[in-house]
Amino acid sequence: MTAIFPTPEWLEKLGEKLNADEQYARIAKNWEGDMLVVIEPGGPLKEQLLYYLDLWHGKCRKTVILKDLSEVKPAFVLKATYDNIARIMKGELDPMQAMLTRKLQVQGSMAYMMRNVPTVLDFVRCCRDVTTNILS
Amino acid sequence: MQPILKVNLTTRETSPFTVPAEWERDYLGGASLAARLLYTSLTRDLDPFSPQSPLLFLTGPLTGSAGPAVGRFVVCGKSPATGLWAESNCGGFWGPELRFCGYDGVWITGRAEGPVYLSITENRLEVRDAAHLWGLDTYEIQSKIKDELGQPRAHVMGIGPAGENGVLFANILCDHGRAAGRTGLGAVMGFKNLKAVAVQGRGKIPLFESEKYNMLRSAANHALKTDNLSRVLHELGTASGTDYFEYLGSMPKKYYHAGVFENAGKVSGATMAETILAGTSACHACVIACGRVVRLPEGTPETSEVSKDFGSLGSLGERRKGPEYETLVGFGPNLLNDDLAAITRLGELCDRYGMDVISASNTIGLAFHLFEQGIISDKDTGGLALRWGDTGTVEQLIHLTARREGIGACLAEGSRCFGARFGAEDEAVQVNGLEVPYHDPRGVSGMALVYATSPRGACHNQSDYFFVDMGQADAELGLEFYERQGGAEKAANVARHQDWRTLCNSLVMCMLANVPAETVVGLINSACGLDWSVSDMLRAGERGWNLKRAINNRMGLTRANDKLPKALLEPYAEGGAAGYVPPLEEMLAAYYSARGWDPVTGRPSKEKLLDLGLDDVANDLWKL
Repeated sequence: MTAIFPTPEWLEKLGEKLNADEQYARIAKNWEGDMLVVIEPGGPLKEQLLYYLDLWHGKCRKTVILKDLSEVKPAFVLKATYDNIARIMKGELDPMQAMLTRKLQVQGSMAYMMRNVPTVLDFVRCCRDVTTNILS
Repeated sequence: MQPILKVNLTTRETSPFTVPAEWERDYLGGASLAARLLYTSLTRDLDPFSPQSPLLFLTGPLTGSAGPAVGRFVVCGKSPATGLWAESNCGGFWGPELRFCGYDGVWITGRAEGPVYLSITENRLEVRDAAHLWGLDTYEIQSKIKDELGQPRAHVMGIGPAGENGVLFANILCDHGRAAGRTGLGAVMGFKNLKAVAVQGRGKIPLFESEKYNMLRSAANHALKTDNLSRVLHELGTASGTDYFEYLGSMPKKYYHAGVFENAGKVSGATMAETILAGTSACHACVIACGRVVRLPEGTPETSEVSKDFGSLGSLGERRKGPEYETLVGFGPNLLNDDLAAITRLGELCDRYGMDVISASNTIGLAFHLFEQGIISDKDTGGLALRWGDTGTVEQLIHLTARREGIGACLAEGSRCFGARFGAEDEAVQVNGLEVPYHDPRGVSGMALVYATSPRGACHNQSDYFFVDMGQADAELGLEFYERQGGAEKAANVARHQDWRTLCNSLVMCMLANVPAETVVGLINSACGLDWSVSDMLRAGERGWNLKRAINNRMGLTRANDKLPKALLEPYAEGGAAGYVPPLEEMLAAYYSARGWDPVTGRPSKEKLLDLGLDDVANDLWKL
């Protein structure tokens, strides 16, 4: 049975997926930077959800659900409503489209992000691969 | 709307021109209004290099209002390079300053007996002698004219030696290297012996509901400043997309003939930010500030002897304009050059001479390509061996082109003529005489239609659809997101995006500003006293697009002109765009259908023109 998004099990499975996926390991081999995904309430999500991932050289060193934004100072913060995150997860919204149409806000070094767009896109692929069971 | 200042350089007569209210409403300003105003005078027989040829500099209803990225103006006329509609818009501060003088445009006709420049203030217009400025570069004239007028805060827009010498891709430049680059109107200015126009004013910009407008524009600027795209452009400049474009295969290399360039990463916007970037620059009231300011590193090779003869390229440690995307690719991967410092110098050289960097680098790229193919040799080039990546030779070709010396006389005619001169017109990567910019339709197929149908030849500023192919498909505008290497299914989407950008070009609003359509409507309505919807806005864009098409039809453009050069219809063997070519004919058929254009003649149908309120144009094209 696959994990349901968004649940703690899903985040754990994502960490396992990132550490096992050969394609991600290859594409993200130079990536250095932890990431906080801020999911704003909407649809079935009643409260803000904070997913933290420590990504390093094609591996995921840590995943954790945080309670407060101030707990970490990550290299990157991705912020969107649950509806838009769910659409990205389902493949209905392209991540680049989300960035370019103000549906996904990005904080952090844009130079680094632009150099590593393939890594970002493959990270999203891995997120989608973990499950098709997305709460709506 | 404020009056347009008409100036006849032959007679030196000047007069204010009031735009009819219905044209102001239907076209707003900028390029669309220019098309309406110039419609009757742009004929097939009109020689761009004649006193009758008009040059119309126009602002938009938001120019100078400190709205989101709206400090621009446009110059329009008939292009000496294409023989078709010419328009080229420009940032900086000149457009706002003209409006502060109480004019929304300057309409030039005639030809001065000798070199002159105009000085415009709120109270005075002077036609001043410019014989002593002839031959000076586009930066030198700015400082000299300001000194001469005793107006250090004036803004000066003018031409360099390339415009004086009739280079068909001569541009018009102002401020910190901001250029009306394309379609060669700098050469028309040169023919008219008009070296420059200086403006300085203190007037207020007329706004219908100024309080409401100012609230809206303040909110719009705040939102724009935090937008993802704005932040990328601020941090990395317009070259920010280089790495991603290379990944997609949409960044041309080796004159559109190589799918990969292993050193592409050395010349990206990110690399610039990490190495030579020393600051940023902005156009009037722009919160993005995409302009690059760089310092060349110690150890950079000095410019060549021939370069030292020309103006002042400054010392290595001096802060100078850094390359934007088109310059970076044109003098970089397009010529297999990975030297950022050299790209910076070559771009500055073009700016100083007053030459469009896209057309200059593209035409030089063609020369390199033909040399490699054995179609031309060192006998044709005056002894120069054209080897990919040799920036010293590129620099010499720039000098020769601007001066029309040796092989440069032929390069100065643009790539179509250069190719034809050596029996290889098909090798030139141009459409209707305008060189193709650096967004390869094999990687982002919407650009195939954009290039083939643009009213000024191959152009990315009539529609930057590559952004839509990457994901900037704004639902507010009714835009869909299609596969980037798709086909005919995206034709109507391309047409809609062209309408949107035509509206932006009438405002005149920078296309890099990712402003929501509803916000733009609010700004227009409060500034102009209108009650438009997004749909009304797109319809105004569609009207402008069809009017420009009709102007070109009257000047001889037909269905046969809607085409792409051979190179863009051959697949790459490797890279992000490998194996794909856009199905142009299928795309065009769908596009004509979406546009309501006649597939035989290539004209907008009578019904379409009447529907858009272009009755007189319908009568001209279809003899009602």
